[in-house]
Amino acid sequence: MKWQKLGKIFTPTDYRFPNNCHEFAQSPQALVLDDRIRIYFSIREKDASGKYLSHIAFVDYDKTMQHVLKTSDHQVIPLGALGTFDEHGIFPINPVRDGNRILAYTTGWNRRVSVSVDTSIGLAISHDNGHSFQKLGNGPVMTASLREPFLVADAFVSIINNTYHMWYIYGSHWKKFDEHSQPDRVYKIAYAHSPDGINWQRDGVAIIPDRIDADECQALPTIFHRNNKFHMYFCYRHAFGFRHQSSHAYRIGYAWSDDMKHWHRDDDLAGIDISPDGWDAQMQCYPHVFEVEGTIYMLYNGNEFGRYGFGLAKLEDCDN
Amino acid sequence: MFHWKKLGQIFDPGMFGNQHYLKEFSQSPSALEFSDYVRVYFCARPARTPDGQYESHVAFVDLEKSNLTKILRISDHIVFPLGEYGTFDEFGTHPISVIRHEDEIRIYYCGISRCESVPYNTSLGVAISHDNGDTFTRIGKGPILSHSLDEPMIQGSPRIRHYNGKWYLWYIAGKEWVKTETRLEPVYKLRMAWSDNGIDWTKHGQDLLPDKLGIHECHASPDVTYHNGIYHMFFSYRGIHNYKSKTGGYQIGYARSTDLFHWHRNDVMAGITTSDSGWDADMVSYPHILRLNDKTYLFYQGNGMGQTGFGLAELTNPEIWGE
Repeated sequence: MKWQKLGKIFTPTDYRFPNNCHEFAQSPQALVLDDRIRIYFSIREKDASGKYLSHIAFVDYDKTMQHVLKTSDHQVIPLGALGTFDEHGIFPINPVRDGNRILAYTTGWNRRVSVSVDTSIGLAISHDNGHSFQKLGNGPVMTASLREPFLVADAFVSIINNTYHMWYIYGSHWKKFDEHSQPDRVYKIAYAHSPDGINWQRDGVAIIPDRIDADECQALPTIFHRNNKFHMYFCYRHAFGFRHQSSHAYRIGYAWSDDMKHWHRDDDLAGIDISPDGWDAQMQCYPHVFEVEGTIYMLYNGNEFGRYGFGLAKLEDCDN
Repeated sequence: MFHWKKLGQIFDPGMFGNQHYLKEFSQSPSALEFSDYVRVYFCARPARTPDGQYESHVAFVDLEKSNLTKILRISDHIVFPLGEYGTFDEFGTHPISVIRHEDEIRIYYCGISRCESVPYNTSLGVAISHDNGDTFTRIGKGPILSHSLDEPMIQGSPRIRHYNGKWYLWYIAGKEWVKTETRLEPVYKLRMAWSDNGIDWTKHGQDLLPDKLGIHECHASPDVTYHNGIYHMFFSYRGIHNYKSKTGGYQIGYARSTDLFHWHRNDVMAGITTSDSGWDADMVSYPHILRLNDKTYLFYQGNGMGQTGFGLAELTNPEIWGE
């Protein structure tokens, strides 16, 4: 694979967003509309306690991805009620066209006492081309289960032959790496399928082999089909030291599959890596691949998990 | 109406303060018949942790079969540990429901985690014993039944049954958290699910009982027993105000069904209520039926939702099962 980097294309602080949201434009994900590309992302406000709340916002680009048409000035999806799974943030969402409606698989965040957070996957539906979404319920569609004890998140859904396929992550364990630090979380990519997008079958098995070690964290799978193969991009990092040490920070990984179930990891084929300097020199994370009129693009975040925005790359060559 | 003769408080946690796991509370009695005794699993609280909060563990007490008010022994250990860091049952395992299945014994339990904006959240887990009920091992780190679209929080108070080759689970599902004058209170209702293996569940998705005390009424401990073509359910219910005192405390209600899914509530039938004085004068809750040698017993909690332990009553009109 060979990607041409088009640079950072969106800086959230250049715009005004509701809820006193300011920094971060994380996990950009595209919905291709007739006359525009709508890119959803998570932007943050600080609450009274000084902790962050992530909200969903969007920016519309023309179909060349060169010009911003507008940014959202409303609450795209409200956060959840007291004590619900998405009370303290939605990050990210995955927009999926399903007939006349747009589904959004959300990752809802709720704060805990011993560990900092837990997450679950929710579902919201739009009937106005993704301008706003209504939740299907106050609870999640996928949460912790016997073999996935916490941190179920990062859904990416494709509807193929009337079956809903989901790639997502689940938490496998929390581990203390340093006597002065709180335990850190470890999570892996898994697969689920569903006849209706609501009731999911899953077995809690990691489908992407680790490259770093058993404590490798894998996140945000995105899948596309090309040359009779399924291609998955995702990000991965060390479980500890990933915030401040570039060598331990997120990188973009790659795997391919013939059947969507068995995946062959080969990061050397990814065709995209950190830059020698600049906005994506310390880390690359949260990749999202989409297609516009035959061109395949990848959105992703760079340094500091997307605090200063997201960038774009274009697939030049797909010879795998 | 069921008529019960109260046999009194049979387990007082204050008498067993030398157990490391037990200082206050013995809750959610769940009885299992063994060849030589009746074992009652219950949820025990040790002293509060330094942050002022309680944890809750499962232990057991063995009762003499011919005289259930006589304690033979109390376990010197809890039967399984709390969950590891970050899991759904890190801070407590309470309430419980115990069932024998082939050569194993299973405890279905409510696991408690702590949250920032609300005090806690809960999901249901399973632990299995292969040593005849002395110790149990959870079958996974996560829950078997948890939050879903229309059950956003608090799956708890399980009662497990096995009828006609299928597993049935009655439990509570949280609707919302409500701010009262003094604190946050969850509102929960009775629901059920079924399963072929007792592990993978299909939720029924409907509240089973109509409310009697308004929309904020909470239901718990739906103890189901089958007799002569009828499913009988004893449960507890309360409002969300002053429920730790006599004013608003738990009462025991009753409902019946012929098909397991449709329930007709008729609390008057339950036939058991608070005493004029003593350990169960403020409230009665967490009913649990034990049928033993043609007799029917009812275990239940008294004041303080089990702070004073649990007691026993015996059915004096067993012909009612046939009516």
